[in-house]
Amino acid sequence: MTEATDPQFLLQAIAHGDRAALAQLFNAQAGRLVAIARRIVRRQDLAEEVVQDAFVAVWQRAGQFDAARGNALAWLTTIVRNRALNLLRDGNRTDYHDGETLAAIGDRTIDAMGAFDALAERDALKTCLSQLDEPKRRAILLCYVTGLNHGEVAATLNAPLGTVKAWIRRGTIALQECLS
Amino acid sequence: MTREEKLAAVGDYVLGLLDPAEAQAFEAACRDDDEISEWARQFAERMGALDFTVEPGSYSPDLWSKIEARVIETPQAERANIVPLVPRRRSAIVQQWLPLAAGVVVALGVGYLVGAMRQTAPAPTIIAVLLNEADASPAVIIEAFADDSVRLLPLDDFEAPEGKVLQLWTLPDVATGPVSLGTLPTTRDTVLAGPSLPTPQVGQLYEITLEPAPGSPTGRPTGPILVKGFAKLPIS
Repeated sequence: MTEATDPQFLLQAIAHGDRAALAQLFNAQAGRLVAIARRIVRRQDLAEEVVQDAFVAVWQRAGQFDAARGNALAWLTTIVRNRALNLLRDGNRTDYHDGETLAAIGDRTIDAMGAFDALAERDALKTCLSQLDEPKRRAILLCYVTGLNHGEVAATLNAPLGTVKAWIRRGTIALQECLS
Repeated sequence: MTREEKLAAVGDYVLGLLDPAEAQAFEAACRDDDEISEWARQFAERMGALDFTVEPGSYSPDLWSKIEARVIETPQAERANIVPLVPRRRSAIVQQWLPLAAGVVVALGVGYLVGAMRQTAPAPTIIAVLLNEADASPAVIIEAFADDSVRLLPLDDFEAPEGKVLQLWTLPDVATGPVSLGTLPTTRDTVLAGPSLPTPQVGQLYEITLEPAPGSPTGRPTGPILVKGFAKLPIS
């Protein structure tokens, strides 16, 4: 990564009111961020809206980014994820609660498992996710990658809500223990 | 909370399972609990590998122009409103800077400053008044000279905590990036030699960040910005 596109460097310039740096950050990251948002909100127009809001938020809040406490790309990605999740949870904008089609549910599962398969073999996350039981792994991936909540995971996996909650709780604890 | 409860809460937060009110409560808990804050940061970064598996997608050619149009009308800001993963340490420091009273500045007065500088030779090329990031009150005056030296005139005493230093930076231009002008344990009337740089320009940024001693490990600002300001020409 060259310095000109190093997100940490760009964030610092953005915090100083540099719009050209914001444009550089956009050019370097927008394609990836739109795709991340689309895995969650499932619609291109909504994904672009998420990324638009996220870059305005980055402009406003770049000065709050503390490089000592995390990396710049993770910070940027978290802003996009949170915006996408909020949009998804806003029932007026997406139609999951009106009954998503089987095909759409299938697409989410494909995205969730595809993200897992695409992890590098040497990534500890892949090793640790692999050690979880299949239902726990699926539930965690559906939540993280495609933004489903407990109830939606239960519907997708055709499992009782209480069971899904227990899978996710035990799964995320085991995952963190394995990663640490 | 037990260790298990903390891990479960971190899991729900990172997976995006908390509603906005719950997420805010979790972030508030992070500010009071370094352990849970660090676990959340680590788990989020690990899970972030899943975000990097995505194939970059296409987007409308006018997406950037929409963002730019909004950015032009959007002020930057609300520094005091700390976002997740930027917890306690920073707010504690900000608190220490808060006693910088506007009265100090009024007492000093612009006329006094200009008068004082007329008696010192050589005259500074530029002056920057660095404002407290928390409440925008003037905190430090910087005088930069053509010989690369920089004089720092604090408007209040401030000591870096144990193991930390204050580091003064400038941004000669965006391509060069931030350049360190030196470190100091406290804000006191000090002259720093400074590296060889182009003559300071009007509008050039100066800032002080809090860095691990003996100075930023990366050669770039890594800690929170305490004070910052832009250079102006002194009245001659």
